[in-house]
Amino acid sequence: MTALPIDARPVSGGRVLARTCAAEWTRLWTVAATWWFLAAAAVVCTGIGVAAGSEAAADPAEELTAWGVIAFAVVPAQFALLALALTAGTADHTTGGIVPTLQWTPRRPVLLGARVLVVVGTTAGLGVLVAGAAALAVGAVHGPALGLPAGEGGTLLATVALVVGAGAGLALGLALLLRSTAGALVAVVLLEFVLPLFLGNAGFAWARALAEWLPGSSAVFLLTGEPAQLSTAEAVPVVLGWAAGALVLGGLRLLRGDADR
Amino acid sequence: MIRIRGLTKRYGTVLAVDDLSFDVEPGAVTGFLGPNGAGKSTTMRMVLGLDRPTAGEALVDGRPFATLAEPLRRVGALLDPGALHPGRTGRSHLLVAARTSGIPLRRVEEVLDEVGLGGAARRRVKGYSLGMRQRLGIAAALLGDPRVLLFDEPVNGLDLDGVRWIRGLLRRLADEGRTVLVSSHLLGEVQQIADRLVVIGRGRLIADATTEEILGGLGRPQVRVRGARADDLAAALRRPGLTVAPGGDGDLLVEGATAEEVGALAHAADVPLWHLSDVRPSLEQAYLELTGVATEFVTTAPAPVRTAEPAR
Repeated sequence: MTALPIDARPVSGGRVLARTCAAEWTRLWTVAATWWFLAAAAVVCTGIGVAAGSEAAADPAEELTAWGVIAFAVVPAQFALLALALTAGTADHTTGGIVPTLQWTPRRPVLLGARVLVVVGTTAGLGVLVAGAAALAVGAVHGPALGLPAGEGGTLLATVALVVGAGAGLALGLALLLRSTAGALVAVVLLEFVLPLFLGNAGFAWARALAEWLPGSSAVFLLTGEPAQLSTAEAVPVVLGWAAGALVLGGLRLLRGDADR
Repeated sequence: MIRIRGLTKRYGTVLAVDDLSFDVEPGAVTGFLGPNGAGKSTTMRMVLGLDRPTAGEALVDGRPFATLAEPLRRVGALLDPGALHPGRTGRSHLLVAARTSGIPLRRVEEVLDEVGLGGAARRRVKGYSLGMRQRLGIAAALLGDPRVLLFDEPVNGLDLDGVRWIRGLLRRLADEGRTVLVSSHLLGEVQQIADRLVVIGRGRLIADATTEEILGGLGRPQVRVRGARADDLAAALRRPGLTVAPGGDGDLLVEGATAEEVGALAHAADVPLWHLSDVRPSLEQAYLELTGVATEFVTTAPAPVRTAEPAR
């Protein structure tokens, strides 16, 4: 019989987090769904951008740039990226993969931190990439009619990072909380699209006031400047607050609950 | 080693694991037995930090599993071979695992070859058979060359070659001084590979002893006998108070006597014998006897059978 030595090398918390982030990155990019959602976001953003750009280019009075066109195209395209973040959160629970995941990373706060960093960071980064590439495509297709001024581009890409990153936080938090792709998807679509649209156009003042507190209304305002009654100072805390709230609730379920499907 | 003390898990009104205490020592294969719903998987999940105990603790090499920085280098476990993302390849599944504990990526190829999945490593897991998923789970368990291994039903879905392979693997791991805990409902399989047995029923410990001790102490010895006149032979054996039961094909199974004693009684009754042999007690027999006790005395918990130093 061989007596095995105990490997007692100390490993710092930072190194454990870095390794877990590396594992989460691999986990994210080794499933086809991630690539499909990215492709869908790129196609929607570029397609709508180029199509809308034709109209804008034909009407110089609007004084739109390629960035301005893309700001509107990001609104529908972001849903593919939110779905990416959402499925990154539910996949472990719908497939049972949470069992090996927690065997390999039993320190749950580390797993939660790494997952939030990688999923939210990656989704926000992909939003910037998709929006930037789509704007270049619009600029290339519609030439000088729709320009690409650098200052406006920087502002828009920073806004896209904020909106898509906050949306990804909301989607991931709901995914960790509900542990169901269908359930989390319905919740995200309600909060980001259906409720803001219907409540915002309802005939009641209280419904319109409620719509302003939903993340979808603020996300659209930050990207497009509509509806005009909102302000950046109001919209930014709303999108960040929803993301933080969902991540806290989802995180608590991951930290405290049993590792069920 | 694995040390379990007062481990309890309650789901609402259901007590799945009830004040369980036992040790799993290194250098031996420990079989973990119990009827369906006895609490085996729940116990293993609590050892691995997947479920939170209602009370008590489970320590691996003196520490709770959930505090380990490099868990795969300490503990390898196979719980549910189907619990993994079907869209990922077998190799990618192990790459994720390797990254969590800083394990060199060449080790992924090594364990894939070791479990016989080298050729299927780049196929998506959804195309794997149950046996292949089982082998992938075992590969993940071996990835960090850990000192402690837990396997829940490791031979499920394996063909005969696979079963022989896992038997040899478990023996080798134990002989290398590792701590090996194996749960299985295949009692014949456990009888072949386990040095010790921990038997639980209704979440409580029923027995914690070596396999030989359980077989010797609980499985009642029997003698199989076949003679010219079965009725006369049975009457002759029952006369001194032995228990005689039909054993199929005209055989009789006799409890409470040795083969020599049965032979002498048959000779005294002048019955020619065609067959006489001791029947080695099976683990199934011993197991049914043990778990039967747990079922029979539902309201009074049975005293655990221990032949080793009791858990402190």
